[in-house]
Amino acid sequence: MTAYTTFYLSGIIGKEVFDTDGEAVGVIKDLLINSIPGASNDSGRQIVTAVKLKTDKGFDHYSFEYFSIQKERERIVVTCKELVKIPEEDVLNGMALVENILDKQIVDLNGRKLVRVNDIRLVKLSQGTYPLAVDIGIEGLLRRLGVSQPIKRFLAIFRINIPAKFILWEDVQAIDFSNLNIKLSKSYSKLHTLHPSDLADILEDLGKRSSMRVFSALDEEKAADVLEEMESHAQVHILENLPVEKAADVLEKMPADEVADILDELEDDRAEVLLKEMETESSNEVRELLEYEDDEVGSIMTTDYLSFPASKKVEEVLLELRNKKPEAWELYNFFVTEKDDELIGTFDLRDLVVAESSHRISEIMNTEPVFLLDNQKVGAIAELVSKYDLLAVPVVDDKHLLQGMVLIDDVVEDLIGERRTKRKSR
Amino acid sequence: MARVGIDRKNFFRRVAMFLAILGPGIITGSVDNDAGGITTYSLAGAIYGYGLIWTLIPSFIVLVVIQEMNARMGIVTGKGLADLIRERAGVKVTFFIFLGLLFSGFGNTMTEFAGVAGSMEVFGVSKYISVPIVAFLVWILVVKGTYKIAERIFLIFSVSLLTYVVSAIMGKPDWSEIGSSIIRPKMAITTQSLAMVIGLVGTTIAPWMQFYMQSSVIEKGLKIQNYNYTLIDIVVGCVVTVVVAFFIMVACGSTLHPQGIVISQAKDAALSLKPLAGNLAAYVFSFGLFIASIFSATILPLATAFFICEAFGFEAGLDKQWNEAGEFYVLYTGILVISALIILIPGAPLIAISLWSQVINGILLPVVLISMMILINNKKIMGLYVNKLTNNIIGWSAVIILVALSLALLVIPFFEKKG
Repeated sequence: MTAYTTFYLSGIIGKEVFDTDGEAVGVIKDLLINSIPGASNDSGRQIVTAVKLKTDKGFDHYSFEYFSIQKERERIVVTCKELVKIPEEDVLNGMALVENILDKQIVDLNGRKLVRVNDIRLVKLSQGTYPLAVDIGIEGLLRRLGVSQPIKRFLAIFRINIPAKFILWEDVQAIDFSNLNIKLSKSYSKLHTLHPSDLADILEDLGKRSSMRVFSALDEEKAADVLEEMESHAQVHILENLPVEKAADVLEKMPADEVADILDELEDDRAEVLLKEMETESSNEVRELLEYEDDEVGSIMTTDYLSFPASKKVEEVLLELRNKKPEAWELYNFFVTEKDDELIGTFDLRDLVVAESSHRISEIMNTEPVFLLDNQKVGAIAELVSKYDLLAVPVVDDKHLLQGMVLIDDVVEDLIGERRTKRKSR
Repeated sequence: MARVGIDRKNFFRRVAMFLAILGPGIITGSVDNDAGGITTYSLAGAIYGYGLIWTLIPSFIVLVVIQEMNARMGIVTGKGLADLIRERAGVKVTFFIFLGLLFSGFGNTMTEFAGVAGSMEVFGVSKYISVPIVAFLVWILVVKGTYKIAERIFLIFSVSLLTYVVSAIMGKPDWSEIGSSIIRPKMAITTQSLAMVIGLVGTTIAPWMQFYMQSSVIEKGLKIQNYNYTLIDIVVGCVVTVVVAFFIMVACGSTLHPQGIVISQAKDAALSLKPLAGNLAAYVFSFGLFIASIFSATILPLATAFFICEAFGFEAGLDKQWNEAGEFYVLYTGILVISALIILIPGAPLIAISLWSQVINGILLPVVLISMMILINNKKIMGLYVNKLTNNIIGWSAVIILVALSLALLVIPFFEKKG
């Protein structure tokens, strides 16, 4: 006899359980595990703790300890020595495999996407019974329909294999559960390992309630990054349903131009409420940007940029950068301004790094920088960026005062669009 | 705001461009008048004159009620109907529904290609030329196409709906007779006329529409605040469906019926119009049929492939590569190609095909509707927005009537044998 037995959830759900005398005691409806995969009460390994049985007296959870699952000639036989109910609290803390995982969507942390669970593979070891993997392949579907074996045998004649698709239990983050005792913010801890843009895609594909729940569980920094990556109607959905304080906190963590973009999509009342709730400094920046028309350069520029007086020395600037630790995109381009923020030159990271530390900025700067006007049409940006190979373009008003900069990141979709049409028209 | 980015999301995003101009309800209503619909309305008009026009009124009410429920479910849950059914009903019920949906997808797509073949034959183009070309163009449009092309095609389509008004007026119908036949329907209840009524209702309320409606609402990102707007959109869409159906029945009822001309396909209707209402009326009628067929042949296989993938958790969407979403592309291409090929078989039993796809629709529809009624009354899913009493009364009576009609459809042949 082997030391372990593997079986499928579909293989034991609906099975009749017999006691030691061979009398039927009930039908298996569900299996309970001790914690939620991917949540912080995730003990690393979930173990089956109870069986939900339908008996003459109705539905109840019974301790798994007294159950035994055996394979006899490819057939699974479940016996039970004694029916012992588990405390209600354990039911609430645990998670039911059929109710919360089977047929539901889960996040495949390894493949970074939502998948639907067709079956669950479990293993029985001497220490206990554990879920091993979820089956998301066609074979799982056929097994559920009860036609897996005949179809496999039939296809084997033609040497066709049905490829199995499994996701290891460690890579599973459950999404759809509602019975929770534990704190929401802790339920999705594994999701934090995902890139914001992957997470944004997953949230968009989730139902409305689940996406709100998962989003609310993210910390503000992560939430801001994820929100930035979402499609606009998904952003609107999130901001309309999040509590105002939390929404404002998240928005404060985002660049002002992105916030302006999102608020523009919201209904005016809601946008105003959010702006009021935000800190004045952040909300004022956003309000300025909201003044611009949709198709004006000002509407997509960022107001977070770095500018220096021409008299500064290279070493002073480098030191300042080290202390300030700016975001990566703030280093795309540096601006040189006079007292009223008048733009007189630009320089980039290369200029700075290759220069002697005692040089002044006035010696290394480009005195005839390419710039955009804040009320210019956005269509002009793509051409300028691709023509001069710029990562960021300064934006000035009609008095040539620096207002912000436009990043290539914000126009890259337009650039791709332009390329594509060019290629097509050829 | 100023993000004019290229759309990279799934297929509904592409279709969503249509929807930005016209709402989900109007699209669904227009696709509803496909080749199968036009055929059934023509037959009803030719055989019973204006006698069955009254059926459009109850169809309209049921159509509005059902689509409103789909829209509400989509808005509240943000989940497709396929998703919800799979999550609540498990694999077996889902498998049954989607096997039916797949067959009906095949059947309907074949009917569309039969429509293409028939309408082009009126213009003297052989089906061996028209069907492969159309199938290829549709495939290219969907897999490689852009919004702009699809948009223009849709515009042509919606204009082509007007052609039925033109053909109807050319037939110089007797409006007062039409009016009185709607108010005081006179219909001999025979097995044949009952089968016709089932056909009319079945073609107006198709199972795939429920899935399509719900997904379009989600893809458009509609919110509960837009609910009133959505309702208007649905009503307009249903009016479009019913008005077009009305004019087709009038066109055939005023010309073919008095002459006692028996037809079996929409193409026959067009051909029979020639001597009665002139060449132009016939061409106009065929053109409408042609465009309607192409439009539905574009949407139907795509939607069917998409819902099946949604229910069974396969990756789907035109933004995915072949190696990512293999099942989706195989399904989509398979439905399109196989349907076109079957229509090309010399002497293909076109009438039997359209009859059988209607039977499958008829059996599937109550199952889908019952699932919907259960889902929409579930507080866990719908929260505050579960059905109100009036919704439930109309919804369940619609289910009961449709089940009764479908059962009648199955029982009728036995009576006919006896008789």
